[in-house]
Amino acid sequence: MKFKTRPRASDSANAGCAKTRTAALRLWLALFSWLLFGIPALAQTQTVNAASGLQDAAPVSHSFTDEIGRKVEVPTVVKRIVSLAPNLTEIVFALGEGDHLAGDTDFCDYPAEATQKPRVGGPINPNLEQVVALAPDLVLATKAINRRETVEALARIGLPVFVTDPHSVDDMIASVEHIGNVLHAEKTAAPLVEDLRERLSNIDRRIAGALPRRVLFVVWTEPLISIGRGTFIADALRRAGARSVVDASAEWPRVNLEEIVRLQPEVLVFASAHAGDTQHDIDMLRARPGWRSLEALRRGNIVIISDAINRPAPRLVDAVEQLARAFHPDSFARGGSRATPAYFAVEACACAR
Amino acid sequence: MRPLTLKRLLWTCGALAVVLLACMVLALNLGAVPISVTDLVLNLGRVAIGQSDQLPTEYRLIVFDLRLPRILLGILVGAALSVSGASFQAMLRNPLADPFILGVSSGAAVGSILATLIAPRFTLITPLGAFLGAITTIAAVYFLGRREGELDSTTLLLGGVISASFLSAIVMFLMTALTGRDLRGTVFWLMGDLSTPIQPGLQWIFSVGLLAGIGAIYTTAADLNLLLTGEREAIHLGVDVTRVKLVVYVSASLLTGLAVSASGTIGYVGLLVPHAVRLLFGPDYRLLIPASALCGAIAIVLADTLARTVAAPTELPVGAMTAMAGAPLFIYLLRRGMR
Repeated sequence: MKFKTRPRASDSANAGCAKTRTAALRLWLALFSWLLFGIPALAQTQTVNAASGLQDAAPVSHSFTDEIGRKVEVPTVVKRIVSLAPNLTEIVFALGEGDHLAGDTDFCDYPAEATQKPRVGGPINPNLEQVVALAPDLVLATKAINRRETVEALARIGLPVFVTDPHSVDDMIASVEHIGNVLHAEKTAAPLVEDLRERLSNIDRRIAGALPRRVLFVVWTEPLISIGRGTFIADALRRAGARSVVDASAEWPRVNLEEIVRLQPEVLVFASAHAGDTQHDIDMLRARPGWRSLEALRRGNIVIISDAINRPAPRLVDAVEQLARAFHPDSFARGGSRATPAYFAVEACACAR
Repeated sequence: MRPLTLKRLLWTCGALAVVLLACMVLALNLGAVPISVTDLVLNLGRVAIGQSDQLPTEYRLIVFDLRLPRILLGILVGAALSVSGASFQAMLRNPLADPFILGVSSGAAVGSILATLIAPRFTLITPLGAFLGAITTIAAVYFLGRREGELDSTTLLLGGVISASFLSAIVMFLMTALTGRDLRGTVFWLMGDLSTPIQPGLQWIFSVGLLAGIGAIYTTAADLNLLLTGEREAIHLGVDVTRVKLVVYVSASLLTGLAVSASGTIGYVGLLVPHAVRLLFGPDYRLLIPASALCGAIAIVLADTLARTVAAPTELPVGAMTAMAGAPLFIYLLRRGMR
C-alpha cells in the first residue's frame, strides 16, 4: 500500500467526497439527460401533430427544393414572411407581397416601406428569437449573405427556410420566379420576369458587336477589394458590355493595386447609394500613390452606379441598363450611329446624379 | 480558512446550484422577446408535468427550442473552461494560466477548423480535432515553459502568448486562403458564440465528455493541492505526479476542446472564475473544482444573457463580454503577483 501523508480532517472529507461524487454524478446525469433530450421530445410531439394534419383532404403544405438543394415544406397560404437579406426584401415587394412581409433586417432600405417593418437584426447575425416571435410561415435567406448556421438553426426548430443562391443576372430572375412560386404569387411573378428578360435582351441587341470595356469594379478601396468571376456583379458587368480585369475564383478578392496598375482598366466602377460622397472619395484617391498611376482615374473614366448593382433583385436590371449606357453611350444614342469610335468620358454619369 | 468538511462542500455546491438555477430562470426570462416571469414559471410547471403540447407554438419555440438549449450550452462551456483553467493553474503552478492565455483555445480552434476542412460531413470530427489541437498546444507550451528542468512562470506565459499568436495567424491564413469554403460562420465562432446549438447527434458526446473530464480531474483534487507546493515536494508526499499530469492534461484538453468546438474561443473565463472561487471559498481543490464548474456556468449564462439583451435584437459576441471583464482582472492579478 502506498503511503500518503495527508491531514486527518481532509481524509474524512475525501471518503465522503467519493459518495458525494457518485450522488452528484447521478443527479447531473439525470438533469442533463432530461434537459438535453427532453427538448427534442417536445419537438417530436409537434411533428406528429403536423403529420396528422396532413392526412386531411386539402394539402396544407407544398414541397419545394430551394436553390441550394434543400427540401422545404411551405404552407399553401403564406401570410407572414421574414426576409433575412435586403435583396430578398426587394423581391418580396416587387412581387406585390410587401403586405405579407412580417419582418426584415437592419439593412433592408428599399423600398421605403421596408424600413417600417419589424427588424430581426443584421443579415449575418439575426436574432433567432425575434424571427420566431414574428411567427413566420416562411423565412427567406440567401447563401451569399446569411450564415449556414442561421439557416440550420431555424430549420431545426421547424421553420421553413427557402435559400436562394444567385450567381448571375439570369439566376436572379430565376430567384424571382422561385420565390413567386413559393409565395403562390405566380400571377405577379410572370409579367415581372417577362419584363426583366425583355429589358435585358433589349440591352443585348443594342450593344451587340460593341467591344467589351475592360473595367475595375471597386467594392472597397482600402484595402482594394473587387469581384470574383463567379459573382452576379461580374455577370451584370458582362450583360452591360464590360469585362472585369480581375479574374479571381474568390467571390470578393483582395486585389493588389500594382496588378491593377499593370492591367490599366479602361473604366473604374464604384457602387454607392450616395454619389456625392463617393465623388469626394474618388477625388482623394487621385492623390494616392498607385491610384494616381491609373490612367482611368486621371482621365476621369469613372462610373458611379447606384448600389442596386450590389443586390441580386429586380433593380439589378436597372443597374445593368445604366451601366450599359455609361459603357456604350453611342449604342444608346438616338439613331444609333455607332460610327464614331470616340473614347467616352463619363465622370459622374447620369446615373450618379 | 476553515478545513474542508463534507458538510461545507455540500452546502457550498448546493448554494451555488441554487444560484445557477436562479440565473437560468433569469436568462430564460430575458431576451429580445419579452416574456413575463409568471408565464415562465407557469409554463415550466406545465412542461414538468408533461403538458407541453398546451404551450403556444412561438412561446415553446423561443423558450424551449432557442433559449434553453443555448443556456445549457453556456453551462457546459462555462463549467468546462473554468475547470480546465483551475487545473492548468495547479499543474503549471501559475495563477495566470487559462486555456485562452496559454493558447490552448487557439490550438483547439485550429484543430477543429482543420478537421472540418478534412471531413466536413463527419460531425464527430470537430470536437475530436479540437481535442487534438488543444492537447498538442498544451504539450508544446509545457515544454516551451521549462527552464533547466523547472517550470518558469514568465517563460511559460510567454510560451503561451507566442503559441496563441502563432495559432491565430494559422487561423487567419486558413480563413483567407481557403476562399472556396464557407468560413463566414467561423468569424463569429472565433469571437465566442453560443447562438449556434450543438449538432443534434453530438449532445451526448458533449455532456458525457464534460462529466467525464470534470470527474477525472476531480479524482486528482487532493493531489493537486499537494502539487501546488511544488512538484518535488508532491513526489515526496507520495503523489504519483506522472499519473496526475497525464490525467489532468488529457482531461483539461478534452474540456477545452469540447468547449471551443461548441462555442469558439471564449476567453478569460478559465482565469477569472477560479480566482473568484478561491477568494470566496478558499484554495482547496476538492471544493475549488466543483465550485469553479458551477460558477463558470453562472458566469457564462450571465455573460451570454448580457450579450443577447444589451443591444437587442442585435447580438453581441459573448467572447467580447468575457474579455471586457477578464482582461482588466488579468492585469490586476499580474501586477499583484509582481509585488
